[in-house]
Amino acid sequence: MNQRSGAQIVLESLVRHGVDTIFGYPGGVVLPLYDELLNWPQVRHILVRHEQCAAHMADGYARSTGKVGVCLATSGPGATNLVTGIATAMMDSIPMVALTGNVNSWAIGTDAFQETDIQGITIPITKHNYLVQNVDDLPGVLEEAFYLANSGRKGPVLVDIPKDVFIAKTAASFPDTVGRRGYTPSAPINPLSFGRAAKLLAEAKRPIVIAGAGVIWSNTSEQLRALAEKCDLPVISTLLGLGNIDRNDSRSLGMMGMHGEFTGTKAVQEADLVIGIGMRWDDRLTGKVSGFAPKAKLIHFDIDYSEFSKIVTTEVVVPGDLAESLPEFLAAVEPKKNPEWWSEIRGWQREQPIVIPEGRKFVARHVLDKLNELSDSEAYVSTDVGQHQMWTAQVYKFKRPYQMMTSGGLGTMGFGFPAAMGAAFAHPGKEVWAVVGDGGFQMTLQELQTAVENNLDIKICLINNGFLGMVRQWQELFYDNRYSHVSMGNPDYKKLADAYGVSFFRCSSRDEVENTINLARSTTGPVLCEFLVEMEENVFPMVAAGASNDNIITDPGIGEQSLAEVSK
Amino acid sequence: MSSRLHTISALVHNESGTLNRLSSMFRRRMFSLASMNAGDCEQDGLSRITMVVHGDDNDLRQCVRQLDKCIDVIEVEDLNSAQSVQRELAFIQVSANVETRRAILDIAQVMHCEVVHLEPESITLQVTAEPSRIDQVVTLLEPIGVTQIVRSGLVAIRVSN
Repeated sequence: MNQRSGAQIVLESLVRHGVDTIFGYPGGVVLPLYDELLNWPQVRHILVRHEQCAAHMADGYARSTGKVGVCLATSGPGATNLVTGIATAMMDSIPMVALTGNVNSWAIGTDAFQETDIQGITIPITKHNYLVQNVDDLPGVLEEAFYLANSGRKGPVLVDIPKDVFIAKTAASFPDTVGRRGYTPSAPINPLSFGRAAKLLAEAKRPIVIAGAGVIWSNTSEQLRALAEKCDLPVISTLLGLGNIDRNDSRSLGMMGMHGEFTGTKAVQEADLVIGIGMRWDDRLTGKVSGFAPKAKLIHFDIDYSEFSKIVTTEVVVPGDLAESLPEFLAAVEPKKNPEWWSEIRGWQREQPIVIPEGRKFVARHVLDKLNELSDSEAYVSTDVGQHQMWTAQVYKFKRPYQMMTSGGLGTMGFGFPAAMGAAFAHPGKEVWAVVGDGGFQMTLQELQTAVENNLDIKICLINNGFLGMVRQWQELFYDNRYSHVSMGNPDYKKLADAYGVSFFRCSSRDEVENTINLARSTTGPVLCEFLVEMEENVFPMVAAGASNDNIITDPGIGEQSLAEVSK
Repeated sequence: MSSRLHTISALVHNESGTLNRLSSMFRRRMFSLASMNAGDCEQDGLSRITMVVHGDDNDLRQCVRQLDKCIDVIEVEDLNSAQSVQRELAFIQVSANVETRRAILDIAQVMHCEVVHLEPESITLQVTAEPSRIDQVVTLLEPIGVTQIVRSGLVAIRVSN
């Protein structure tokens, strides 16, 4: 039999699964793998500057392609540096395979140099993980790892491989079939559920859909659109679901919840039927659960049975992969029209739009609005976490699935830039923007070097307000203006860009925005655009943490209500 | 909904990290685990685990679903006492002297305990019973002087549907 080393098996596995790019960082115990890597030109390895960013790049690659992202790190600190990136992927159900080296199998448990129990550490933040103790097991484990990561409700899978397992040889081959006793990728559909759900929809006068990332990952965006059209349904997208329906579609209401649009949040409070599709009733969406959608019956479509009744009580659950359940539901429903409901919704949209402020103040929304316009809503856009993230979600009109990359569940600062890089590696020649704040960018900006080395076409839209803006906003509104450690010092980004050899444009007024974005768009390679915006601008609308969605703090710029009245 | 003890049985792959993974899930999701007992079963490479969980019906449902979602878990079921036999084993060590020994042995006999070790100043009893009966034995022996208790946690087997 043909004997192959563990390292060869790893590379062969990547090729089998169509992995053309991996993100990693070498170290002692992965030396045998890095040596073997030189023999496999079909697998491009991107050398990052910090392992956390390898995980975020693999994540951005996955979110922008729908394919499994792969990252690689050495043992000990290399592996622990992946943890934030793996946890980010877990919270948002992103398909990822994280490969780590470990010390020789005979040294495990002896506190050897750079040893860490990465399997133990990542148990709560992976869909599954493995420590491979015998090279004969490696082909099967790798097959299973890709299968688990990319089936059912997707998620990160970590495979920890001791150094001697990379070196050892085996005749073991990849299994012909993959599966695992007891693992059912998706909850089986219940044929009765479609009729029950369709009946509720037929009876409803004020129905509304909240569609999540499940629609994206099951590639059912078209079915969602068809459902909305057939039954004249307003469609809210969750933060992670943005792009599951074209935001320019007249039935799309954008995002709801803590910083969602007034209309969506209000409509759910007034609805008599809420249909959650591929989403999980996150607390940023529901607000105080006991006050959520008080007049509505709830229908919940999901692939993961454990999401049913976890947060809210539902009238009808529709288990199963949306690729199976949505077409069935679409066939089961009768066409309907909801003109009165729509006229109420249109009224809210007119009264409480997301405003791009007039006047002299220069705010992030001016930048994002212009970015949306000049890129024709077509760019791949990542965000970091905080105010700029919410403004991007409100203003950028995402058109299609796999277009937006944002850390919704874990809320990972430092995610935006490397995630956009992952997308840029996956989509050469396409326009990719990382929208980041000055807080988050400083957490992972060392990857500028990685971008430069690869002459990566990536634009960084740095919204610099000199603050940890969202935390500052909460201190302003809920802690009596007592600013505690939210004022951010910043380096001179021009000098920083020069030091890395990155193109740089600075913009400090509204008049220069268009020109700045145009300059960035016509420049190849990495570009850093710094927008020096108003320091103390707040994100509105807002529902305070723990408050009911009935208590929407509207934008004081347009609403009648004063902040003091409603923030109680 | 009222909070009470529930017995859950799971058939699992017996691999590196399995127990760690399950106990981690309980801790992470704040399910209250009263006992967990794992051992070999009739199938090679698999284990059967009996868990006792404290909570209301919704906690139980969530717990079963989260267990079912663990990749290591092949099947999981909520066992009620009508459909299963449930037992726990306990060792109870009691301090004894000439005056109390007879009383301890009387209790042991009535409560179906086995004397597994006898010394001039102590008696060690073994009792295999439903947990409530073990509690009862402990209550009876406490006034005499219990020095050590070791309980195995519950094991349960489905005997009917």
